[in-house]
Amino acid sequence: MSIRVTGAVALCKLLQAAARLLHRGGTASPGRVALKLCPELPGVLARGMEILVITGTNGKTTSAHIAEQAFQNAGLDCVANRSGANLLSGITTELAHNATLLGRCRKKYAVIECDEAAARTALGYLRPKVVLVTNLFRDQLDRYGEVTHTLENIREGLKKAPEAVLCLNADCSLTSSLAGDLPNRTVFYGVDRSAADPDARPPLLSDASRCIRCKAEYHYDYVTYGHLGGFRCPHCGYARREAEVAVTKIDALDMDSSEVEMRIYGAARKLHVNLPAMYNIYNAAGAVAAITQMGLSAAQAAEAIGTFHCGFGRMERFALGAAGARVMLVKNPAGCDQVLEFLAAVSGPLELAVLLNDHDADGTDISWIWDADFERLTALGTRLRRVYVSGTRAADLYLRLKYAGLPQDTLCIERDYAALTERLAAAEVPVFVMPTYTALMEFRPLLVHRCGGGEFWEG
Amino acid sequence: MELNICHLYPDVLNLYGDRGNILCLRRRLEWRGIGVSVTELPIGGETATLTGADLIFIGGGQDFEQEALLDDLHRGRDAALRAAIEDGVTVLAICGGYQMLGNYYETHDGVRCDFIGALNLHTVGGKDRMIGNYLFRCGAESGGGTVVGFENHSGRTYLGTGVQPLGTVLRGFGNNGEDGTEGARFRNVFGTYSHGPLLPKNPVLCDVILQTALARKYGAAELSPLDDAAEAEAHDEMAARLLAK
Repeated sequence: MSIRVTGAVALCKLLQAAARLLHRGGTASPGRVALKLCPELPGVLARGMEILVITGTNGKTTSAHIAEQAFQNAGLDCVANRSGANLLSGITTELAHNATLLGRCRKKYAVIECDEAAARTALGYLRPKVVLVTNLFRDQLDRYGEVTHTLENIREGLKKAPEAVLCLNADCSLTSSLAGDLPNRTVFYGVDRSAADPDARPPLLSDASRCIRCKAEYHYDYVTYGHLGGFRCPHCGYARREAEVAVTKIDALDMDSSEVEMRIYGAARKLHVNLPAMYNIYNAAGAVAAITQMGLSAAQAAEAIGTFHCGFGRMERFALGAAGARVMLVKNPAGCDQVLEFLAAVSGPLELAVLLNDHDADGTDISWIWDADFERLTALGTRLRRVYVSGTRAADLYLRLKYAGLPQDTLCIERDYAALTERLAAAEVPVFVMPTYTALMEFRPLLVHRCGGGEFWEG
Repeated sequence: MELNICHLYPDVLNLYGDRGNILCLRRRLEWRGIGVSVTELPIGGETATLTGADLIFIGGGQDFEQEALLDDLHRGRDAALRAAIEDGVTVLAICGGYQMLGNYYETHDGVRCDFIGALNLHTVGGKDRMIGNYLFRCGAESGGGTVVGFENHSGRTYLGTGVQPLGTVLRGFGNNGEDGTEGARFRNVFGTYSHGPLLPKNPVLCDVILQTALARKYGAAELSPLDDAAEAEAHDEMAARLLAK
């Protein structure tokens, strides 16, 4: 077995080095080949490590960056698949990269972002110390089927990791249901009623309007966004569990960051969240739960949240145009609505570019753009100076915005990324870019080239 | 002129973009100065909403909510829906909503679930899902144009006597991946597997549906032409991509 392990690790390293020489990332394919040679390789590589696995629909990458920052601040070396190659192949590549030829990892800790479907197999191999499940929203239904199927994938994976501590979003009725029939110790995190907008209502288009246990309609004591909030089922009694890591007050939601108050295992603490918008407050709370369960202190978690930089199109800033650009990845209606809500709070005029691709990694079904609330853009009125649409499905996106009621003289199809970069660089006002995943991977290098920044696998 | 649109079960049949169809129907009436009201009829809502409708829209849903949906249907909503269809009310039903109008659904391991039987068709669950962009040509009575959409279903639907297909598959699977048919036409019902959503990129079919509803209410109805350049571009781009395969 050890010869096969050594061969697989060596091959993986070699392929990765070759790919990097050719400037092709090489984040997933070396692991894919190594897994063929030695299917149990990730399990071998993970032995003796203390691993945090992060899965869920939205917020995986940001949460992973916060956790990685915490380990770094504490002077602890950790492995991280930070380029977002989050299938078993990419995870294997990253572990092998940090391992000796005998298959022993040189670092004790790992922060692993894991695709929701891949969690089914990956969790059994990795035997993580802590698993953070951020949330579940409708996403890539062409790949995952129904959102409840995604939930089952994670549940099946967790069954193979009974010793892991679960950090679950208390406000997501789907995620929180994982605690029910698993033996794992569980820590809930969430946003308390005291920090929620008292006027917010659950959306008509909810991804979880009916009880996951008995299918009766939920009642809500409060809502934060999407189907997240203080849910309870009037029929069977399934309800939000009290959060041990709870956001108790939001003091400020600014364009670049937020100021919040949390109750962390009973102790109150003020935190600076170094990325804007409500969904990043959730990411921060989830990260506090995960980081503390990994053995670091609440103070170390808070410091990481106050200082981390995510990059990778997660509210990432570039010095483009007269007033700068911000890139905000969008993948599904829930995430897109959060970004649109953020835009609604921008003061003054702005230009926007939305890049919609339909490759496998984006989801080949782009119907979700009709569920996202692009009508919010229409409400910006003349402040929205121009909207460029691009990507493989630019024509569909144009149509969506036309039917949302945006004036057609505001809309412009620009399929050529170089030309799009030039147009955005000429903007006098702040620029916002909303790309889907592969569009981000294609377009970000142009911004990096023009404005500076690292290659994507370096972060 | 005015159309009353009833959106049936928006609370559970709203999978991936269905509300785009409602938006499209609404806008294309508004742009022509025709009045439009949209009433939502969720589970437990008033059946009276259904009887006043000129056009009923039913979207697709997840298996998870199907039980609650069938309970509600079998509390008299099925009879009201059958009566409306017999009465010539225009109906657009997509994916799960389309299957629901048929006689029954049989899972691949043989469990049979009775649907409302408004259209003589039935659906059999398959193991493999039929997923992807697809293209079909509508029959002459439905405008005769090509339609691009996205299908994602494991059910295979078979049409019985008295029901015509909505169109013929050019690329993709359609009703069952075997007989080349896609969707169903019966009286003023349009059934299809195409979400995506269906109507925005297929304005010809959208206008046929609107015309059908207006004609029943007001006799003849001519719809004034709209600038459909953006709609045509989205349609043509996907059609060309599929035909190149």
